[in-house]
Amino acid sequence: MDYNAQLKLQAFLDGELPKAEASEMASLVTRDREAAALLEELRNTDKVLAGFEGGIELPESRDFFWSKVQREIQRLEAPAPKFAPASLLARWRRLLVPASALALVLVTVVVLIQPVGQFGRTSAADIETALADAGAFTYRDYEAGTTLVWLSYPADNEGAESDEMGTFE
Amino acid sequence: MTAKDNSSADDQTLVRAAQQGDMAAFEELVARHRDKIYARAYSMMRNEEEAIDLSQEAWVKGWQRLAQFQGDSSFGTWMTRIVINLCLDQLRKQKRQRTESIEAMDAESGGVERQMPVITVNPTAGLERGELRQRIDRALGQLSYEHRTVLVLHEFEEMEYKQIPKTMECSIGTVMSRLFYARRKLAALLADLKKLDSV
Repeated sequence: MDYNAQLKLQAFLDGELPKAEASEMASLVTRDREAAALLEELRNTDKVLAGFEGGIELPESRDFFWSKVQREIQRLEAPAPKFAPASLLARWRRLLVPASALALVLVTVVVLIQPVGQFGRTSAADIETALADAGAFTYRDYEAGTTLVWLSYPADNEGAESDEMGTFE
Repeated sequence: MTAKDNSSADDQTLVRAAQQGDMAAFEELVARHRDKIYARAYSMMRNEEEAIDLSQEAWVKGWQRLAQFQGDSSFGTWMTRIVINLCLDQLRKQKRQRTESIEAMDAESGGVERQMPVITVNPTAGLERGELRQRIDRALGQLSYEHRTVLVLHEFEEMEYKQIPKTMECSIGTVMSRLFYARRKLAALLADLKKLDSV
């Protein structure tokens, strides 16, 4: 028997041949002892395999196996973790940080670009404040040759009557 | 449905309930078919742990794809197809990681089985069921995964020749050749095991 005939014999056993070819193979088996022996061997192998899977059992209990399946299903179905809503304070802080940074930048820009104002040096006059004594202001007018010292003791809000002002020439 | 209802309901009813999200109904389906699904995975993988993991994965996939089940086949058949595909993916991955045995390459070329002597006596005659299963188990373990798979698909899954190529990604000629080799090799292995036992 050649290889093709052997494969055809197998197809005959498996019921995969068309009627005409199946009849041919059936008559071959009655005539050819080798074909009959091979067919018998293939048949025996099938019989042996028939009940094999029936005896195999999952080596885990019903509850344990199900718990694993269920856990995996739930893990895969769980929605993506959501972040807890931020507290009012946290939201305020989040807003405050960029706002502070922005304010700082704005103040810096304003200070840098602000034209020299009322406290800045003019062409002929300037005002000095003694750091050690924040209550004293000195106004000098170079053109007029005038110096004004404005003392506000004890404090500005205590009234004008306590202010002293002197003029030096 | 209650647990009592589930245990007395048929597969179709349980599938419908599970499709509506009833996990208890699905649990009952798992309980009914878990041995069959595991057995199919074990036949293909020859490894208990891998078979457990893959059968578990198959059940998870089964739940996820439940909406796609139309009832064209039985639920058990639908589930076994899922586990078979998972096993084949796993076996292909493993194959890529190791060199094929010389025996498998010989078998692919289709030569060895032609010269094998025909086993005239049934080598499993007179064996107890447990002993028989052990021998088949050992013999199946000696086949390459391609030969074992084609045998599993044809003998256990009862697939026709024309259905197997789609699953195994090969030609129908290769399927016939592999099936023939697998059967003949199995007969020879079982005969060898019997000889070893009688020495």
